[in-house]
Order: sequence, then structure tokens, then C-alpha cells
Amino acid sequence: MGRPGAVSHTRSHYLPRTRDGWIALVAFLVLFALAEPPLVYLIANRINPWVLGTPFLYAYLLADYTALIGVLVWAAWRGR
Amino acid sequence: MEPWIVSTGLIVAYLLFTIGVGVVSNRKLTVDVEDFFLYGRKAGFVVLYLTVVATYHSAFAFLGSGGFFYTHGIGFWDAGTWTILAGASTWILGTRVWALGKRFGYITPADMLADFYESEAVRVVTALVSVIFTILYIQVQAQGLGYIINVATGDRISFEAGTMILLVVAAAYVMAGGIRAVYWTDVLQGVWMYIALWVGGLVLAHELFGGPVELWRQVAAQRPDLLTLPGPRGFFRPGMWFGMSIVLSFGIVFQPHILIRYYSAVSGRTLKWLGATTPIYLMTIYVPAALVGLGGAIALPGLDVPDRIFPELLFRFSPAWLTGIVLAGATAAAMSTLDSILHANMTVLTRDVYQRYLVRDASQHHYITVGRIIVLALLLIGYVLSVTSGQLLVVLVSLSGAGALQLMPAVLGVCFPTRRPFTRTGVLSGIAAGLVTLYVTLIVLPHPLGLHGGVWSLLANVFVTIIASRLSRPPSADTVSRIHGTIERFVEEGDAAINRTAG
Repeated sequence: MGRPGAVSHTRSHYLPRTRDGWIALVAFLVLFALAEPPLVYLIANRINPWVLGTPFLYAYLLADYTALIGVLVWAAWRGR
Repeated sequence: MEPWIVSTGLIVAYLLFTIGVGVVSNRKLTVDVEDFFLYGRKAGFVVLYLTVVATYHSAFAFLGSGGFFYTHGIGFWDAGTWTILAGASTWILGTRVWALGKRFGYITPADMLADFYESEAVRVVTALVSVIFTILYIQVQAQGLGYIINVATGDRISFEAGTMILLVVAAAYVMAGGIRAVYWTDVLQGVWMYIALWVGGLVLAHELFGGPVELWRQVAAQRPDLLTLPGPRGFFRPGMWFGMSIVLSFGIVFQPHILIRYYSAVSGRTLKWLGATTPIYLMTIYVPAALVGLGGAIALPGLDVPDRIFPELLFRFSPAWLTGIVLAGATAAAMSTLDSILHANMTVLTRDVYQRYLVRDASQHHYITVGRIIVLALLLIGYVLSVTSGQLLVVLVSLSGAGALQLMPAVLGVCFPTRRPFTRTGVLSGIAAGLVTLYVTLIVLPHPLGLHGGVWSLLANVFVTIIASRLSRPPSADTVSRIHGTIERFVEEGDAAINRTAG
């Protein structure tokens, strides 16, 4: 890639390039991990306590999914 | 008026409307391959949003999700993870696919992969994987449609006749208006199916239990096993939960009808916002589905075919008009996926096979006509498959869901520059290893160690792709520089970098 006109790939395309990007990535990964094994089985696999008339596992996942979508929307907004 | 007359009447009205859309979009059509196959790369946010969500959610999401909640309990709420991953993928990957498509004029996924890996073999394998694994979805949607119309008419129209009627309608408007007809009908279908599921779920919850809160309380009191993992039959164990998150997100994103939608966007910015917001629709559609499935397990236990829970509840406990609206919504869900797959497979076969290897320099009108003939052929194949296959279908559906996942390493190798790019030998070896592993881990020894077979196949694919790429000749420096350079500039400068150089 050292030829004229060639692109240097010194910057990773798998990692964010801005502070907002890092915040979004870390928040997304943490929230996503909360919805995946083993955490969802360890933390949330129960009916009680009820939250707003719904069982805990359902409410826990709904809150987590909402937060994940919030991260995506926030990142899109910051990167507009 | 009897419920079957109302429900059949609403479905007929809906079908007439879609045919009308096909006729109107045909009048708007210019004799231009990009217009017929890619909406002229001008699809804006609203149209693209509704066509993506309507395509993503099929008859399975509408009817099958209720059946899954009914049988396996709250574990199907895992659906939120894969819908959100699909949205994130649209943003991260879809924008890059759009940039390369606009810059280099790609029409199919195989165009992009063959260009980067400098290989006709990669083109053919990509086209084959794309078509073979999604043609099974034509079969699945066709069967769903036949079932819906059979139920809606109270067995007055047979499953076979219903399948044929709805296949013909979908094929007719795809042939008439190309992707414009698909997108415009998807707008209606996307709105209809969402409203139908929510209204149907909430009305049933009120009719049967007095509201959603009491429904949850009754489920906890009578069937607490439905409200925890892994569910009454032990289905949602950790490996299956994780595996479904991967297979039903990336496995759908890498299918041709979704990748082609990325090409058709008017801008990368449109796709970014699409990725951030489509999970709102995709995830929340499962909220009423949970009410239907879990409430149905209490109100109507012991169904032989759990997927029938939604229409069974509607016919027994809801007014006729609501049953009609919901079943027309189910028709919309199936047709919006069916038309997209018909269109994508038509595009792939016309562009990657016919135009490339049979007739190279014909007119645009000629290729559009060939595309229409291919739709007819796909219609016949879908019909024959849907009325002849039995138990094998379950296996085929599992296989098809994970099949497109095998294109993932190859696509990532194009869209995410690295110091050591993947090679044609690498991605072809990886796809072969992935397909063999998929066969073994879905059919011969299903889901080893409790981990979904699709994940095993993806792991094998990635491993072999990396190793074989290290041992073989990479694409030329010029090609890598041209394509990865475009990605680098797009990431740094955004849409402007592409608009400056496109065409």
C-alpha cells in the first residue's frame, strides 16, 4: 500500500474514531451483554419483582432494548 | 355479516389495491435497469424505512411469533436482540455497501464481491448462495399465504388455490413495476401489519382478560413456566438464545433483498438514520405478539398447530371486522417479504447469470423483460415447493436462515479495510467450510453443545477464510486501493466523498 494514491490503513475500521463513537460503542456493548447469556440468565431470569404490571424478565429486557435503541439514536444524532 | 365474508372481503380489497399500485408504478417506470432493479438509487427515508421493516418481518413474525410465545414462553422476547443488531448492521455495514454501490454502480451483492476479489467464481458462488437460500423463503411465504386465505375463507378456498392466487398477485405487481411496485406496496403493508398486530393483540387482551396487566397476572398464576428461561420445553437455553441473536440478525442482513435495499438508498445519511430507528418498529411489533401467544396459552391451551393461535383467537373472541383487518395484515406481512425476495432473486439471476454469461450487450428493455420471465419461473418453483414439501420444510427453513450468513466474512472483507485483505481463495474456502459445517450442525448433529448450528458454521467460515487468505494471493493493489480507498474517504468525509466521484 505504499504506492502513490494507495490508501494507508493505519486507522482501524473496526474501532471508533471519535470520542462520541467510543461512548456509543462501549454503551452498546455493555447494554447488549446485559441482554445475552450469561448475564440475562443470572440477573433477570425471574418473575418477581413485577414492574408496571409486567414480570421482571419482560420489563428488564424491554428497558434494555429501549436503552440500546436510545444509544443508536443518540449516536446518529451526535454524528449528524 | 359472517366473519369469513368480512375477512375475505378485506383481503380481496387489499389485493386489488396492491395490483393498482403495480399498475401506477408501471406507468412511472422508465426503461432503465437501475430504475427497475434499484429504484434509481433514490429511495428516501420513509419509503426505505417501511420497505425494510415490512420485508424483515414476514408471515413468521406475524403468525409464528405468537406460536413461539405460546409454545416456548417469554424466551421469544430474545427477538429484541436480533432486531436491534439488524438495525446496527444497517448503520455500520449498510452505509458502506451504499457508498460502494453508488461509486462503482453495483446492482447485486455479487457485483461488489466479484469486483473486490477479482473473481468470477466469487460472483457465481455468491449468486448461487443468495438465490438457493432465499428461494426457500418464497416457499415459506407462499405456504403462509395459502394458510391465511384458507383460514380467512373458512376453508372455502383451498390451501393450494389460495397459495396460487396470492403468488400470482405478488408476481404480477413485481413484473409490472419492478422495485418501485415492491417499495410502494411495502409502504402500505408495513403500516397495515403493524397496526393490525397492535390492535389485534390489545383487543384480545381486553376481551379475554380485561387488559394486558391482568393477562400477565393470569399467566404468572397458571403457567409460570412460560415466564422464565429456558421455557416449558427447555428450548431457550443460553446457546440457543445467543445463536438466534446472531443468525436472525446477520443471517437476514446478508440476504440479497436487504443488501439490494442498501444500494437503493438516496444517501448514506438516510441509511444511518434507518439503522438507528428501524429497531423501534422491528422490536415493538413483538410486544402485542407476546400478549397473543402468552394469553392464548391460557385462553386456548392444547392447540395442535401453535402458529394458528392468533387467527383462532380472533375467530372465537373478536369482532368480524377486526379478524378481517388482522388477516389482511398477515397477508401483507407475507406478501411484503415474498415480493422482495422475488425481486431480489430476479435481479441476481438477470444481472449475475443472464447478463454476465448468456447475453452480454442487449438493450435495457431486453433485460427488464428477461427479469419478468424469471419472476414467472420463480413463481412456479415457489408454488410447486409450497404444495409438495412436508416435514422437510422445517429443516429447509432452518438451513435457509443460516445460509446467507456464509456471505458475512466476504462482505466484511470488502467493507472493512484491514492490513491483510481477504482473498478469493480465502472467501471461497470459507463459504465452502461454512456450508459443510451448516449441514452437519443443523441436520446431522443439530446444534452441538446447545449452540445454534448457524453460529458453528459462521465460526468455521471465519476461521477458514482467515487461514486460507494468509496462504493465497490477495487482490491486486490497485483494486484494494480503489475500493478500500473509497471506504476510507467515505468514513472520513461522509456522503460528500461519494457524491463527488459517483458515476
